[in-house]
Amino acid sequence: MGARSLQAQQTAVEIAGQNLANVNNPAYARQRVQMQTSPTISSTLGEQGTGVQVTAIQQMRDALLDSQITGETSVGGYWNSQQSGLQSAQIGLGEYIDSTSGSATSTDGTTSGIADDLSGLFSAFKSVATSPESLTDRQLLMSNAQTLATRLNQASTNLSNVKDQLNQSLDGNVKDANQLISDIANLNKSISAAEAPGGSQPNDLIDLRQSKLESLANLVNITSSTGDNGAVNISIDGNQIVSDSTVADTLQTYDAGGGQMLVRTATGGTPLNLTGGEMKGTIDARDGTLATLQTGLDTLASQLITQVNAIHDVGYGMSGTSGAKFFNGSDASDISVNSALVSDPSLVQAAGAPGASGDNSVALALSQLANAPQAGLGNQTFSQAYSQTVAGLGYSLNNANTQVNDSTKVQSMLSQQRDSVSGVSIDEEMTSLIGFQKAYEASAKLVTAVDQMLETVISMKT
Amino acid sequence: MRVTGNYFADQFVSTVNGLSARQQKLQNEISTGQRISAPEDDPAAVQRTLNLQADQQAVTQYASNISTLQDRATTSFNAIKSVKTVSDRAGEIATMSDGTRSPDELQAYATEVTQLIKQTVQTMNTKDGDSYIFGGTQTSQPPYVIATDANGNVTSVTYQGNTGVADKPIADGTTVAVDVPGSNTTGTGQQGVITDSRTGADFFNHLISLQNHLLAGDTASIASTDTPALGKDENNIISQISNNGAIQTQLETAQTANTQQATSLTQQVSTQADADITDTIVQLNQAQYAYQAALQSGAGIMQKSLLDYLP
Repeated sequence: MGARSLQAQQTAVEIAGQNLANVNNPAYARQRVQMQTSPTISSTLGEQGTGVQVTAIQQMRDALLDSQITGETSVGGYWNSQQSGLQSAQIGLGEYIDSTSGSATSTDGTTSGIADDLSGLFSAFKSVATSPESLTDRQLLMSNAQTLATRLNQASTNLSNVKDQLNQSLDGNVKDANQLISDIANLNKSISAAEAPGGSQPNDLIDLRQSKLESLANLVNITSSTGDNGAVNISIDGNQIVSDSTVADTLQTYDAGGGQMLVRTATGGTPLNLTGGEMKGTIDARDGTLATLQTGLDTLASQLITQVNAIHDVGYGMSGTSGAKFFNGSDASDISVNSALVSDPSLVQAAGAPGASGDNSVALALSQLANAPQAGLGNQTFSQAYSQTVAGLGYSLNNANTQVNDSTKVQSMLSQQRDSVSGVSIDEEMTSLIGFQKAYEASAKLVTAVDQMLETVISMKT
Repeated sequence: MRVTGNYFADQFVSTVNGLSARQQKLQNEISTGQRISAPEDDPAAVQRTLNLQADQQAVTQYASNISTLQDRATTSFNAIKSVKTVSDRAGEIATMSDGTRSPDELQAYATEVTQLIKQTVQTMNTKDGDSYIFGGTQTSQPPYVIATDANGNVTSVTYQGNTGVADKPIADGTTVAVDVPGSNTTGTGQQGVITDSRTGADFFNHLISLQNHLLAGDTASIASTDTPALGKDENNIISQISNNGAIQTQLETAQTANTQQATSLTQQVSTQADADITDTIVQLNQAQYAYQAALQSGAGIMQKSLLDYLP
């Protein structure tokens, strides 16, 4: 009995030690020794106890909390990747508020973005309208026009790069997800083998599998169910991904047309309709807000090109030339200023009729373009349409920020709850440790006492 | 609820992170003086601010236009005034050239009139910067070309400008035409300074006629044709002066309105984008105190555990 007790207490101390060692392991669920009295012996006095035995090492885990956390991790992953994608888009657009920029007395003062450059172009048109024969004003016009075109090109390139980055990150997510899927399948195998009748619950493997499930849920929203043999089956959008210990299917990215990468199953080739996780967040950011932003810029640029050229085409330069285009290109990525006009600003067609350099009627019409609602821009002026595009990005990102905060709070609350069930408390373990240590000493004392009694009995003979 | 050391540590870290982020945001607001900076901060305010700033840029440009045009109007006024001086003198000469004058005196007057014509042509060929202001929209060449004979007398003064008038923008939807053409014989549009078919003015030709009559000593013609003709010219010039005055008044009014609009826009932008410094500083102090308190109390609690008291 004493020996059995010593063993039991020793096991308990080891478990306490195990808990203490893993106090900072976030995936760890604390373990508890389950002690039970060992089978009794029938004696003439009745049932006599034979001491204690350790029946199981139990893991303190709440399956409901685990599945809640897995679900919420998907939501968190979705909003986090949206937020980071849109942050990149905001940086790529480069439009920030500088409240002192508008009141600068010079028209080419500190510029902070496309809005400023757009105003700069129209201001330059106004100044050429006021002094049509002034080469200085014409040169300034060309310079402002080039600045605008370059900045539009730059923004377009940046946004295109962000789109590529998001595609790459989707690729990376899919690779990680596939790795996790195969890991989970392997763990399923080990766990089912260990939980086979006659075996015991492999607590550490279960901890590991749960943490991998959560990592996978962060990437893509999964539906999981636990089988009778302890294996977790995973499906995504109704497609079986992990079935027992086999990987039923993996994920891959594919081009849905127009460079738009989406996710589908590898063997079946079924496009997946994702509902959460980082992958979905990346896809939504790319095809939603980022695409709208890019379209907004392109529409602005193409309308600007069309409208300015339409007015400029019929004008006359200072030497009577006509028909030259002001802007070349078709959208934000390739808008540029006619290089012939840049090298010789006197060719800018500001006049309505040839031969009179003081004629400013075309320049005047160009300057009035600033206030004209454009049918192609939803009956807004160029500046209004642009600021609305910027605000659109702002609303989406603002929303993503709020959602990330909310999701973080929810995740935090859930993990606090899990921690209160599964977390290791140093004070608690130390107290248990002392308790088991004392019990060990007591049992040792019992062994010593029995031993002494035996010696007394034996020495009776001699 | 069972609270473990880890739970406490995680809570502490997230609280401190939150306070630290808040401090950083408030500090940023104070140092830039702006409440909003990126579109995500306040999308509606950002949209309004961008629109207001576009208006501000336009207003600034209009101010510059108005200033340019004011200079031009002043140049125009000075030129017309000196033409008026010439007109006054020519009228004087015409009146004084009656039968009582000696031929020598008439010759002297003729020479003077020749000089007056040349001076006026020079005045009418005034430039404002790069452009000739009295040529209509024909601003790249002198409006008047003078032709003289072998004796230096003026034979003709030809106008090679046009009657076009350029409208210059001074506010949204508002333009003003500052220039006046030297000659307008079409009967419509802006009145010409020297020649205008509606008022019967034809200053140069009248002056040449006066010069020739003086050279010929024909005082009778001077009295019958030149004096009344010069009278029409003088009336024309006077109306030009008052027209210029009206234009300058219009420009001044536009300038006042422009300045008021600029001020108003600056205020509006400030309302949207600027941080209330006093309020922000108070909030920053609060955040700093909270941060300090959290750090102090957290540090105290985190250090303690059962291990400190076990032998």
